[in-house]
Amino acid sequence: MIHSIQSEWLKTRRSLASWLVVIGGLFIPLIFLYDRLRHFSTMAENNAKPGIWTYYFKQCWQYMSILLLPLGIILTVSLITQIEYRNNTWKQVHTTPQRLSTIFLAKLVVILTMLLQFFLIFNGGIWLIVALPSVFGTVDYPSAPIPLDTFGEFNHRFLVGSLPIVGLQYLLSLHFRNFMVPLGVGLAIFVATIIGLNWEYGYLIPYSYLSYFFMNNTQHLLDQGINIYYCALGYFAVFTGLAWLSYRYQRSKN
Amino acid sequence: MGHCIHTTGLNYFFSKKEQVLHDIHLHVPEGSIYGFLGPNGAGKTTTLRLLLGLLRQQSGDIHIFGQPFEPNRQSILGRIGSLIESPSLYSHLTARENLMIWQKVYQCPKNRIEAVLRLTGIADTGEKKTGQFSLGMKQRLGIAVALLHAPRLLILDEPTNGLDPGGIVEMRELLRQINQESGITIVISSHLLSEIEKLVTDVGIIHRGKMQFEGPLDELMRVRRSHSSLVIETGAPDKALALAQQTCGEARLINGKINLPHQDKTTIAALNHQFVMADIPVYQITGKEDDLESIFMQMTATTPTQNPLL
Repeated sequence: MIHSIQSEWLKTRRSLASWLVVIGGLFIPLIFLYDRLRHFSTMAENNAKPGIWTYYFKQCWQYMSILLLPLGIILTVSLITQIEYRNNTWKQVHTTPQRLSTIFLAKLVVILTMLLQFFLIFNGGIWLIVALPSVFGTVDYPSAPIPLDTFGEFNHRFLVGSLPIVGLQYLLSLHFRNFMVPLGVGLAIFVATIIGLNWEYGYLIPYSYLSYFFMNNTQHLLDQGINIYYCALGYFAVFTGLAWLSYRYQRSKN
Repeated sequence: MGHCIHTTGLNYFFSKKEQVLHDIHLHVPEGSIYGFLGPNGAGKTTTLRLLLGLLRQQSGDIHIFGQPFEPNRQSILGRIGSLIESPSLYSHLTARENLMIWQKVYQCPKNRIEAVLRLTGIADTGEKKTGQFSLGMKQRLGIAVALLHAPRLLILDEPTNGLDPGGIVEMRELLRQINQESGITIVISSHLLSEIEKLVTDVGIIHRGKMQFEGPLDELMRVRRSHSSLVIETGAPDKALALAQQTCGEARLINGKINLPHQDKTTIAALNHQFVMADIPVYQITGKEDDLESIFMQMTATTPTQNPLL
Protein backbone atom coordinates (compact mmCIF):
# COMPACT_ATOMS: atom_id res chain seq x y z
CA MET A 1 0.00 0.00 0.00
CA ILE A 2 2.76 2.43 0.95
CA HIS A 3 4.44 1.95 -2.46
CA SER A 4 1.16 2.60 -4.22
CA ILE A 5 0.72 5.82 -2.25
CA GLN A 6 4.29 6.87 -3.11
CA SER A 7 3.58 6.14 -6.75
CA GLU A 8 0.35 8.18 -6.67
CA TRP A 9 2.13 11.02 -4.88
CA LEU A 10 4.80 11.15 -7.60
CA LYS A 11 2.07 11.73 -10.17
CA THR A 12 1.09 14.98 -8.47
CA ARG A 13 4.58 16.43 -8.87
CA ARG A 14 4.40 19.70 -10.84
CA SER A 15 0.74 18.99 -11.56
CA LEU A 16 -1.83 21.77 -11.76
CA ALA A 17 -3.50 20.39 -8.62
CA SER A 18 -0.31 20.65 -6.55
CA TRP A 19 0.14 24.28 -7.63
CA LEU A 20 -3.49 24.95 -6.82
CA VAL A 21 -2.96 23.72 -3.24
CA VAL A 22 -0.01 26.08 -2.69
CA ILE A 23 -1.48 29.11 -4.48
CA GLY A 24 -4.96 28.53 -3.03
CA GLY A 25 -3.54 28.19 0.48
CA LEU A 26 -1.57 31.42 0.28
CA PHE A 27 -3.96 33.51 -1.81
CA ILE A 28 -6.15 34.99 0.94
CA PRO A 29 -3.36 35.37 3.55
CA LEU A 30 -1.26 37.29 0.99
CA ILE A 31 -4.15 39.66 0.28
CA PHE A 32 -4.53 40.35 4.01
CA LEU A 33 -0.77 40.73 4.39
CA TYR A 34 -0.75 43.26 1.57
CA ASP A 35 -3.64 45.08 3.25
CA ARG A 36 -1.73 45.18 6.56
CA LEU A 37 1.37 46.53 4.89
CA ARG A 38 -0.75 49.17 3.15
CA HIS A 39 -1.95 50.40 6.55
CA PHE A 40 1.47 50.17 8.12
CA SER A 41 0.84 52.97 10.61
CA THR A 42 -1.80 50.94 12.50
CA MET A 43 0.17 47.70 12.53
CA ALA A 44 1.94 48.16 15.88
CA GLU A 45 -1.31 49.13 17.57
CA ASN A 46 -3.13 46.11 16.08
CA ASN A 47 -0.36 43.71 17.06
CA ALA A 48 -0.80 44.77 20.65
CA LYS A 49 -4.50 43.78 20.67
CA PRO A 50 -5.27 40.47 22.45
CA GLY A 51 -7.59 39.27 19.67
CA ILE A 52 -5.20 39.85 16.77
CA TRP A 53 -4.79 36.15 15.92
CA THR A 54 -8.49 35.32 16.09
CA TYR A 55 -9.34 38.38 14.03
CA TYR A 56 -7.20 37.35 11.06
CA PHE A 57 -8.04 33.68 11.49
CA LYS A 58 -11.77 34.43 11.18
CA GLN A 59 -11.28 36.97 8.42
CA CYS A 60 -9.34 34.49 6.31
CA TRP A 61 -11.65 31.57 7.00
CA GLN A 62 -14.70 33.68 6.15
CA TYR A 63 -13.69 33.83 2.47
CA MET A 64 -12.05 30.46 2.47
CA SER A 65 -14.79 28.32 4.01
CA ILE A 66 -17.74 29.70 2.11
CA LEU A 67 -16.21 30.41 -1.27
CA LEU A 68 -12.68 29.32 -2.07
CA LEU A 69 -12.31 26.02 -0.22
CA PRO A 70 -15.34 24.30 -1.82
CA LEU A 71 -14.27 25.54 -5.25
CA GLY A 72 -10.67 24.53 -4.59
CA ILE A 73 -11.70 21.00 -3.53
CA ILE A 74 -13.97 20.61 -6.56
CA LEU A 75 -11.10 21.57 -8.85
CA THR A 76 -8.30 19.74 -7.06
CA VAL A 77 -10.06 16.40 -6.61
CA SER A 78 -11.18 16.47 -10.24
CA LEU A 79 -7.68 17.34 -11.46
CA ILE A 80 -5.97 14.66 -9.37
CA THR A 81 -8.37 11.90 -10.31
CA GLN A 82 -8.49 12.92 -13.94
CA ILE A 83 -4.70 12.69 -14.31
CA GLU A 84 -5.25 9.10 -15.46
CA TYR A 85 -7.98 9.93 -17.96
CA ARG A 86 -6.11 12.94 -19.30
CA ASN A 87 -2.92 10.98 -19.90
CA ASN A 88 -4.70 7.80 -20.97
CA THR A 89 -2.88 5.91 -18.22
CA TRP A 90 -5.70 3.97 -16.53
CA LYS A 91 -4.93 0.95 -18.69
CA GLN A 92 -1.31 0.93 -17.50
CA VAL A 93 -2.35 1.38 -13.86
CA HIS A 94 -4.78 -1.52 -14.14
CA THR A 95 -2.17 -3.88 -15.62
CA THR A 96 0.10 -3.47 -12.60
CA PRO A 97 0.07 -6.09 -9.84
CA GLN A 98 -2.02 -3.94 -7.50
CA ARG A 99 -5.40 -4.78 -6.04
CA LEU A 100 -8.17 -2.48 -7.22
CA SER A 101 -8.84 -1.52 -3.60
CA THR A 102 -5.20 -0.48 -3.21
CA ILE A 103 -5.35 1.76 -6.27
CA PHE A 104 -8.64 3.27 -5.06
CA LEU A 105 -7.38 3.93 -1.53
CA ALA A 106 -3.96 5.19 -2.61
CA LYS A 107 -5.59 7.87 -4.75
CA LEU A 108 -7.95 8.84 -1.92
CA VAL A 109 -5.08 9.03 0.57
CA VAL A 110 -3.17 11.35 -1.78
CA ILE A 111 -6.23 13.60 -2.14
CA LEU A 112 -6.74 13.75 1.64
CA THR A 113 -3.02 14.41 2.15
CA MET A 114 -3.24 17.31 -0.28
CA LEU A 115 -6.22 18.62 1.68
CA LEU A 116 -4.16 18.48 4.88
CA GLN A 117 -1.27 20.12 3.03
CA PHE A 118 -3.64 22.91 2.03
CA PHE A 119 -4.79 23.39 5.66
CA LEU A 120 -1.16 23.60 6.81
CA ILE A 121 -0.24 26.13 4.13
CA PHE A 122 -3.34 28.20 4.83
CA ASN A 123 -2.76 28.26 8.59
CA GLY A 124 0.90 29.05 7.96
CA GLY A 125 -0.26 31.90 5.74
CA ILE A 126 -2.46 33.26 8.54
CA TRP A 127 0.52 33.15 10.89
CA LEU A 128 2.57 35.03 8.28
CA ILE A 129 0.00 37.87 8.08
CA VAL A 130 0.56 38.66 11.72
CA ALA A 131 4.15 37.53 12.21
CA LEU A 132 5.97 38.49 9.00
CA PRO A 133 6.27 42.24 9.73
CA SER A 134 7.74 41.32 13.14
CA VAL A 135 10.30 39.00 11.52
CA PHE A 136 11.73 42.01 9.68
CA GLY A 137 11.78 43.92 12.96
CA THR A 138 9.48 46.72 11.90
CA VAL A 139 6.85 46.00 14.60
CA ASP A 140 6.82 43.94 17.74
CA TYR A 141 5.66 40.33 17.58
CA PRO A 142 2.12 40.10 19.07
CA SER A 143 2.19 39.60 22.80
CA ALA A 144 -1.09 37.60 22.73
CA PRO A 145 -0.51 33.85 22.43
CA ILE A 146 -1.89 31.97 19.42
CA PRO A 147 -5.20 30.37 20.55
CA LEU A 148 -4.19 26.93 19.39
CA ASP A 149 -7.22 25.19 20.92
CA THR A 150 -9.69 27.40 19.05
CA PHE A 151 -7.70 27.18 15.82
CA GLY A 152 -7.44 23.40 16.18
CA GLU A 153 -11.18 23.07 16.80
CA PHE A 154 -12.09 25.20 13.77
CA ASN A 155 -9.59 23.44 11.52
CA HIS A 156 -10.95 20.11 12.63
CA ARG A 157 -14.52 21.14 11.82
CA PHE A 158 -13.58 22.62 8.45
CA LEU A 159 -11.70 19.47 7.60
CA VAL A 160 -14.76 17.35 8.39
CA GLY A 161 -16.97 19.82 6.49
CA SER A 162 -14.73 19.35 3.42
CA LEU A 163 -15.06 15.57 3.37
CA PRO A 164 -18.48 15.28 1.66
CA ILE A 165 -17.17 17.47 -1.18
CA VAL A 166 -14.08 15.25 -1.48
CA GLY A 167 -16.25 12.10 -1.49
CA LEU A 168 -18.70 13.21 -4.16
CA GLN A 169 -16.06 14.79 -6.39
CA TYR A 170 -13.98 11.61 -6.13
CA LEU A 171 -16.99 9.52 -7.14
CA LEU A 172 -17.79 11.75 -10.13
CA SER A 173 -14.18 12.12 -11.27
CA LEU A 174 -13.57 8.38 -11.15
CA HIS A 175 -16.75 7.56 -12.97
CA PHE A 176 -16.80 10.11 -15.76
CA ARG A 177 -14.04 10.41 -18.32
CA ASN A 178 -15.13 13.92 -19.27
CA PHE A 179 -13.57 16.46 -16.91
CA MET A 180 -16.53 18.81 -17.39
CA VAL A 181 -18.96 16.42 -15.65
CA PRO A 182 -17.43 16.43 -12.14
CA LEU A 183 -16.62 20.12 -12.52
CA GLY A 184 -20.11 21.04 -13.74
CA VAL A 185 -21.94 18.95 -11.15
CA GLY A 186 -19.64 20.26 -8.40
CA LEU A 187 -20.24 23.87 -9.37
CA ALA A 188 -24.00 23.30 -9.64
CA ILE A 189 -24.15 21.86 -6.11
CA PHE A 190 -21.95 24.70 -4.88
CA VAL A 191 -24.37 27.30 -6.29
CA ALA A 192 -27.31 25.33 -4.87
CA THR A 193 -25.57 25.39 -1.49
CA ILE A 194 -25.23 29.18 -1.49
CA ILE A 195 -28.90 29.56 -2.46
CA GLY A 196 -30.06 26.85 -0.05
CA LEU A 197 -28.26 28.00 3.08
CA ASN A 198 -31.34 29.81 4.36
CA TRP A 199 -33.62 26.91 3.51
CA GLU A 200 -34.80 24.96 6.56
CA TYR A 201 -33.47 21.75 5.04
CA GLY A 202 -30.26 23.37 3.80
CA TYR A 203 -28.25 20.98 6.00
CA LEU A 204 -29.20 18.20 3.59
CA ILE A 205 -27.00 19.72 0.89
CA PRO A 206 -23.67 17.90 1.20
CA TYR A 207 -21.56 20.93 0.30
CA SER A 208 -23.15 23.17 2.94
CA TYR A 209 -21.25 22.07 6.05
CA LEU A 210 -18.26 24.38 5.65
CA SER A 211 -20.64 27.34 5.70
CA TYR A 212 -22.58 25.96 8.68
CA PHE A 213 -19.38 25.38 10.60
CA PHE A 214 -18.10 28.86 9.82
CA MET A 215 -21.35 30.59 10.76
CA ASN A 216 -21.40 28.44 13.89
CA ASN A 217 -25.20 28.39 13.77
CA THR A 218 -25.78 24.72 14.31
CA GLN A 219 -27.46 24.96 17.69
CA HIS A 220 -31.00 25.06 16.23
CA LEU A 221 -30.15 21.90 14.26
CA LEU A 222 -28.76 20.21 17.36
CA ASP A 223 -32.01 21.08 19.14
CA GLN A 224 -33.82 19.11 16.41
CA GLY A 225 -31.44 16.22 16.95
CA ILE A 226 -29.45 16.90 13.77
CA ASN A 227 -25.69 16.83 14.19
CA ILE A 228 -24.14 18.14 10.99
CA TYR A 229 -20.73 16.87 12.09
CA TYR A 230 -22.03 13.33 11.72
CA CYS A 231 -24.01 14.31 8.61
CA ALA A 232 -20.73 15.34 6.98
CA LEU A 233 -19.01 12.13 8.00
CA GLY A 234 -22.03 10.10 6.87
CA TYR A 235 -22.11 11.74 3.45
CA PHE A 236 -18.38 11.13 3.06
CA ALA A 237 -18.80 7.45 3.93
CA VAL A 238 -21.72 7.04 1.51
CA PHE A 239 -20.03 8.88 -1.38
CA THR A 240 -16.76 7.01 -0.87
CA GLY A 241 -18.64 3.70 -0.74
CA LEU A 242 -20.46 4.53 -3.96
CA ALA A 243 -17.19 5.62 -5.57
CA TRP A 244 -15.67 2.25 -4.67
CA LEU A 245 -18.62 0.31 -6.07
CA SER A 246 -18.64 2.35 -9.26
CA TYR A 247 -14.89 1.82 -9.66
CA ARG A 248 -14.92 -1.86 -8.71
CA TYR A 249 -17.72 -2.81 -11.09
CA GLN A 250 -16.71 -0.59 -14.00
CA ARG A 251 -17.09 -2.74 -17.08
CA SER A 252 -13.90 -1.69 -18.80
CA LYS A 253 -10.74 -0.72 -16.96
CA ASN A 254 -9.95 1.70 -19.81
CA MET B 1 7.44 -26.43 -25.57
CA GLY B 2 4.90 -25.14 -23.03
CA HIS B 3 2.46 -22.37 -23.68
CA CYS B 4 2.97 -19.00 -22.08
CA ILE B 5 -0.61 -18.02 -22.95
CA HIS B 6 -3.38 -20.51 -23.49
CA THR B 7 -6.99 -19.45 -23.98
CA THR B 8 -10.03 -21.56 -24.73
CA GLY B 9 -13.44 -20.49 -25.93
CA LEU B 10 -13.07 -16.78 -25.36
CA ASN B 11 -16.20 -14.89 -26.32
CA TYR B 12 -16.88 -11.25 -25.76
CA PHE B 13 -20.00 -9.18 -26.28
CA PHE B 14 -20.07 -5.38 -26.23
CA SER B 15 -23.86 -5.65 -26.19
CA LYS B 16 -26.38 -8.46 -26.62
CA LYS B 17 -26.34 -7.94 -30.36
CA GLU B 18 -22.68 -7.14 -30.80
CA GLN B 19 -20.37 -10.10 -30.34
CA VAL B 20 -16.78 -9.04 -30.97
CA LEU B 21 -14.96 -12.28 -30.14
CA HIS B 22 -16.08 -15.77 -31.14
CA ASP B 23 -14.56 -18.80 -29.48
CA ILE B 24 -10.97 -17.61 -29.45
CA HIS B 25 -8.34 -20.29 -28.81
CA LEU B 26 -4.85 -18.89 -28.48
CA HIS B 27 -1.66 -20.86 -27.91
CA VAL B 28 1.39 -18.68 -27.48
CA PRO B 29 4.55 -20.82 -27.11
CA GLU B 30 6.98 -19.97 -24.32
CA GLY B 31 9.90 -17.90 -25.60
CA SER B 32 8.27 -17.14 -28.95
CA ILE B 33 7.58 -13.87 -30.71
CA TYR B 34 3.92 -14.25 -31.53
CA GLY B 35 2.46 -11.99 -34.20
CA PHE B 36 -1.23 -11.38 -33.58
CA LEU B 37 -2.56 -10.16 -36.88
CA GLY B 38 -5.80 -8.84 -38.18
CA PRO B 39 -7.27 -5.81 -39.89
CA ASN B 40 -8.47 -2.86 -37.84
CA GLY B 41 -11.53 -3.80 -35.82
CA ALA B 42 -10.83 -7.55 -36.04
CA GLY B 43 -10.76 -8.03 -32.26
CA LYS B 44 -7.01 -7.89 -31.55
CA THR B 45 -7.14 -5.18 -28.92
CA THR B 46 -10.22 -6.70 -27.26
CA THR B 47 -8.40 -10.04 -26.99
CA LEU B 48 -5.27 -8.41 -25.56
CA ARG B 49 -7.37 -6.38 -23.11
CA LEU B 50 -9.01 -9.59 -21.92
CA LEU B 51 -5.58 -11.19 -21.46
CA LEU B 52 -4.52 -8.26 -19.28
CA GLY B 53 -7.74 -8.15 -17.27
CA LEU B 54 -8.70 -4.74 -18.64
CA LEU B 55 -12.03 -6.21 -19.75
CA ARG B 56 -14.17 -8.43 -17.60
CA GLN B 57 -14.03 -12.02 -18.84
CA GLN B 58 -17.48 -13.15 -20.02
CA SER B 59 -16.84 -16.73 -21.08
CA GLY B 60 -13.95 -19.09 -21.73
CA ASP B 61 -10.66 -19.59 -19.91
CA ILE B 62 -7.40 -17.70 -19.85
CA HIS B 63 -4.27 -19.42 -18.60
CA ILE B 64 -1.02 -17.45 -18.42
CA PHE B 65 2.24 -19.06 -17.24
CA GLY B 66 0.15 -22.20 -16.74
CA GLN B 67 -2.14 -20.55 -14.17
CA PRO B 68 -5.76 -19.43 -14.54
CA PHE B 69 -5.76 -15.64 -14.83
CA GLU B 70 -8.53 -14.43 -12.51
CA PRO B 71 -7.52 -16.17 -9.27
CA ASN B 72 -3.84 -15.31 -9.90
CA ARG B 73 -4.36 -11.84 -11.33
CA GLN B 74 -1.74 -9.97 -9.30
CA SER B 75 0.96 -12.60 -9.47
CA ILE B 76 0.50 -12.93 -13.25
CA LEU B 77 0.38 -9.19 -13.92
CA GLY B 78 3.61 -8.80 -11.97
CA ARG B 79 5.35 -10.83 -14.67
CA ILE B 80 3.78 -9.10 -17.69
CA GLY B 81 4.85 -5.88 -19.37
CA SER B 82 2.36 -4.26 -21.69
CA LEU B 83 1.83 -1.46 -24.12
CA ILE B 84 -1.79 -1.24 -25.22
CA GLU B 85 -2.54 1.13 -28.10
CA SER B 86 -0.88 4.49 -27.33
CA PRO B 87 1.83 4.72 -24.63
CA SER B 88 0.53 5.61 -21.15
CA LEU B 89 2.67 8.53 -20.03
CA TYR B 90 2.22 11.37 -17.56
CA SER B 91 2.83 14.32 -19.83
CA HIS B 92 3.82 16.76 -17.05
CA LEU B 93 6.67 14.52 -15.91
CA THR B 94 10.04 13.57 -17.39
CA ALA B 95 10.89 10.10 -18.70
CA ARG B 96 12.74 9.22 -15.47
CA GLU B 97 9.89 10.47 -13.31
CA ASN B 98 7.43 8.40 -15.33
CA LEU B 99 9.57 5.32 -14.79
CA MET B 100 9.94 6.11 -11.06
CA ILE B 101 6.14 5.87 -10.72
CA TRP B 102 6.15 2.31 -12.05
CA GLN B 103 9.38 1.42 -10.22
CA LYS B 104 7.56 2.15 -6.95
CA VAL B 105 4.62 -0.05 -7.93
CA TYR B 106 6.69 -3.00 -9.18
CA GLN B 107 9.29 -2.60 -6.45
CA CYS B 108 12.10 -3.32 -8.89
CA PRO B 109 15.66 -2.04 -8.41
CA LYS B 110 16.14 1.67 -9.15
CA ASN B 111 18.99 0.95 -11.56
CA ARG B 112 16.44 -0.65 -13.90
CA ILE B 113 15.31 2.88 -14.79
CA GLU B 114 18.66 3.79 -16.37
CA ALA B 115 18.95 0.31 -17.88
CA VAL B 116 15.65 0.51 -19.79
CA LEU B 117 16.26 4.13 -20.79
CA ARG B 118 19.57 3.10 -22.34
CA LEU B 119 18.06 0.00 -23.91
CA THR B 120 15.36 2.01 -25.63
CA GLY B 121 17.74 4.82 -26.60
CA ILE B 122 16.12 7.66 -24.68
CA ALA B 123 18.63 8.05 -21.83
CA ASP B 124 19.54 11.59 -22.86
CA THR B 125 16.07 13.18 -22.63
CA GLY B 126 17.01 14.89 -19.34
CA GLU B 127 14.44 17.30 -17.95
CA LYS B 128 12.26 17.29 -21.05
CA LYS B 129 8.62 16.59 -20.20
CA THR B 130 7.13 13.62 -22.00
CA GLY B 131 4.36 15.88 -23.30
CA GLN B 132 7.05 17.42 -25.55
CA PHE B 133 8.29 14.05 -26.83
CA SER B 134 7.89 13.02 -30.45
CA LEU B 135 5.60 10.04 -31.12
CA GLY B 136 8.62 7.81 -31.66
CA MET B 137 10.14 8.80 -28.30
CA LYS B 138 6.81 8.21 -26.59
CA GLN B 139 6.65 4.71 -28.10
CA ARG B 140 10.17 4.01 -26.87
CA LEU B 141 9.30 5.19 -23.38
CA GLY B 142 6.15 3.05 -23.51
CA ILE B 143 8.37 0.04 -24.26
CA ALA B 144 10.74 1.10 -21.46
CA VAL B 145 7.81 1.14 -19.02
CA ALA B 146 6.77 -2.32 -20.20
CA LEU B 147 10.33 -3.66 -19.73
CA LEU B 148 11.09 -1.93 -16.43
CA HIS B 149 10.33 -4.86 -14.12
CA ALA B 150 12.04 -7.43 -16.39
CA PRO B 151 8.81 -9.23 -17.28
CA ARG B 152 8.60 -12.78 -18.62
CA LEU B 153 5.90 -11.81 -21.11
CA LEU B 154 5.58 -8.66 -23.16
CA ILE B 155 2.22 -7.78 -24.72
CA LEU B 156 2.47 -5.01 -27.30
CA ASP B 157 -0.54 -3.73 -29.17
CA GLU B 158 0.48 -2.10 -32.44
CA PRO B 159 3.75 -0.75 -30.99
CA THR B 160 4.94 0.59 -34.34
CA ASN B 161 1.93 2.87 -34.80
CA GLY B 162 3.13 6.30 -35.84
CA LEU B 163 6.76 5.28 -36.23
CA ASP B 164 8.70 6.15 -39.38
CA PRO B 165 10.31 3.29 -41.37
CA GLY B 166 13.62 3.75 -39.55
CA GLY B 167 11.84 3.63 -36.20
CA ILE B 168 10.01 0.45 -37.20
CA VAL B 169 13.30 -1.27 -38.07
CA GLU B 170 14.87 -0.12 -34.77
CA MET B 171 11.84 -1.32 -32.81
CA ARG B 172 12.04 -4.68 -34.56
CA GLU B 173 15.73 -5.02 -33.71
CA LEU B 174 15.08 -4.05 -30.10
CA LEU B 175 12.34 -6.65 -29.69
CA ARG B 176 14.43 -9.36 -31.32
CA GLN B 177 17.33 -8.49 -29.02
CA ILE B 178 15.10 -8.62 -25.92
CA ASN B 179 13.64 -11.96 -26.99
CA GLN B 180 17.01 -13.52 -27.75
CA GLU B 181 18.94 -12.16 -24.78
CA SER B 182 16.31 -12.49 -22.06
CA GLY B 183 14.09 -15.20 -23.50
CA ILE B 184 11.01 -13.02 -22.98
CA THR B 185 7.89 -14.19 -24.77
CA ILE B 186 6.54 -11.36 -26.90
CA VAL B 187 3.01 -11.00 -28.23
CA ILE B 188 2.87 -8.25 -30.79
CA SER B 189 -0.27 -7.23 -32.62
CA SER B 190 -0.34 -5.54 -35.96
CA HIS B 191 -2.62 -5.01 -38.90
CA LEU B 192 0.31 -5.28 -41.31
CA LEU B 193 1.86 -8.70 -41.77
CA SER B 194 4.73 -7.24 -43.81
CA GLU B 195 5.70 -5.15 -40.78
CA ILE B 196 6.29 -8.07 -38.46
CA GLU B 197 6.88 -11.08 -40.72
CA LYS B 198 10.65 -10.57 -40.34
CA LEU B 199 10.33 -10.66 -36.56
CA VAL B 200 7.80 -13.26 -35.48
CA THR B 201 8.25 -16.98 -34.93
CA ASP B 202 4.54 -17.76 -34.59
CA VAL B 203 1.43 -16.21 -36.02
CA GLY B 204 -2.23 -15.91 -35.11
CA ILE B 205 -4.61 -14.32 -37.59
CA ILE B 206 -7.94 -12.98 -36.43
CA HIS B 207 -10.73 -11.54 -38.50
CA ARG B 208 -14.18 -10.37 -37.44
CA GLY B 209 -13.54 -11.81 -33.99
CA LYS B 210 -12.69 -15.30 -35.25
CA MET B 211 -9.31 -16.99 -35.45
CA GLN B 212 -8.45 -17.73 -39.07
CA PHE B 213 -5.03 -19.25 -38.58
CA GLU B 214 -2.65 -20.07 -35.78
CA GLY B 215 0.71 -21.76 -35.99
CA PRO B 216 4.43 -21.31 -36.55
CA LEU B 217 5.48 -18.85 -39.23
CA ASP B 218 6.95 -21.81 -41.17
CA GLU B 219 3.47 -23.29 -41.46
CA LEU B 220 2.21 -20.04 -42.91
CA MET B 221 5.14 -20.14 -45.32
CA ARG B 222 4.08 -23.63 -46.38
CA VAL B 223 0.63 -22.28 -47.04
CA ARG B 224 2.27 -19.62 -49.15
CA ARG B 225 4.25 -22.18 -51.12
CA SER B 226 1.16 -24.29 -51.69
CA HIS B 227 -0.47 -21.23 -53.16
CA SER B 228 2.38 -20.42 -55.51
CA SER B 229 1.89 -21.12 -59.20
CA LEU B 230 3.92 -21.78 -62.32
CA VAL B 231 3.52 -19.67 -65.46
CA ILE B 232 4.80 -20.95 -68.79
CA GLU B 233 4.94 -18.91 -72.00
CA THR B 234 5.19 -20.95 -75.17
CA GLY B 235 4.89 -20.52 -78.95
CA ALA B 236 1.90 -22.95 -79.14
CA PRO B 237 -0.29 -22.37 -76.12
CA ASP B 238 -3.15 -24.74 -76.98
CA LYS B 239 -0.89 -27.67 -77.75
CA ALA B 240 1.19 -26.93 -74.66
CA LEU B 241 -1.94 -26.72 -72.48
CA ALA B 242 -3.04 -30.21 -73.55
CA LEU B 243 0.39 -31.59 -72.71
CA ALA B 244 0.48 -29.79 -69.38
CA GLN B 245 -2.98 -31.10 -68.45
CA GLN B 246 -1.83 -34.62 -69.29
CA THR B 247 1.26 -34.28 -67.07
CA CYS B 248 0.02 -32.18 -64.17
CA GLY B 249 -3.75 -32.47 -64.30
CA GLU B 250 -4.81 -28.97 -63.39
CA ALA B 251 -3.69 -26.35 -65.92
CA ARG B 252 -5.33 -23.25 -67.33
CA LEU B 253 -4.66 -20.79 -70.10
CA ILE B 254 -4.63 -17.20 -68.90
CA ASN B 255 -3.66 -14.37 -71.27
CA GLY B 256 -2.03 -16.86 -73.61
CA LYS B 257 0.15 -18.31 -70.84
CA ILE B 258 -0.20 -21.65 -69.13
CA ASN B 259 -0.87 -21.41 -65.37
CA LEU B 260 -0.19 -24.43 -63.19
CA PRO B 261 -0.31 -24.98 -59.46
CA HIS B 262 2.95 -25.30 -57.49
CA GLN B 263 5.16 -28.08 -58.97
CA ASP B 264 8.38 -29.61 -57.78
CA LYS B 265 11.59 -29.14 -59.79
CA THR B 266 11.53 -32.66 -61.35
CA THR B 267 8.03 -32.14 -62.75
CA ILE B 268 8.98 -28.74 -64.16
CA ALA B 269 12.03 -30.27 -65.90
CA ALA B 270 9.97 -33.16 -67.25
CA LEU B 271 7.31 -30.81 -68.58
CA ASN B 272 9.90 -28.65 -70.28
CA HIS B 273 11.43 -31.76 -71.84
CA GLN B 274 8.01 -32.79 -73.21
CA PHE B 275 7.45 -29.35 -74.74
CA VAL B 276 10.85 -29.50 -76.46
CA MET B 277 10.21 -33.02 -77.70
CA ALA B 278 6.86 -31.86 -79.14
CA ASP B 279 8.55 -28.98 -80.97
CA ILE B 280 6.81 -26.37 -78.78
CA PRO B 281 9.05 -23.31 -78.33
CA VAL B 282 9.36 -22.43 -74.63
CA TYR B 283 10.00 -18.69 -74.07
CA GLN B 284 9.74 -18.42 -70.33
CA ILE B 285 9.04 -20.51 -67.18
CA THR B 286 8.43 -18.47 -64.03
CA GLY B 287 7.31 -19.27 -60.52
CA LYS B 288 4.72 -16.93 -59.05
CA GLU B 289 4.45 -16.90 -55.26
CA ASP B 290 1.78 -15.08 -53.34
CA ASP B 291 3.47 -12.96 -50.73
CA LEU B 292 2.36 -13.32 -47.12
CA GLU B 293 0.42 -10.11 -47.37
CA SER B 294 -1.75 -11.57 -50.15
CA ILE B 295 -2.39 -14.69 -48.09
CA PHE B 296 -3.27 -12.53 -45.11
CA MET B 297 -5.62 -10.55 -47.33
CA GLN B 298 -7.22 -13.74 -48.60
CA MET B 299 -7.66 -15.05 -45.07
CA THR B 300 -9.22 -11.88 -43.83
CA ALA B 301 -11.40 -11.37 -46.89
CA THR B 302 -13.53 -14.46 -46.42
CA THR B 303 -15.33 -16.30 -43.68
CA PRO B 304 -13.64 -19.45 -42.32
CA THR B 305 -16.00 -21.80 -44.12
CA GLN B 306 -15.33 -20.11 -47.43
CA ASN B 307 -11.64 -19.73 -46.77
CA PRO B 308 -9.70 -21.86 -49.24
CA LEU B 309 -6.63 -21.75 -47.05
CA LEU B 310 -8.14 -23.56 -44.11
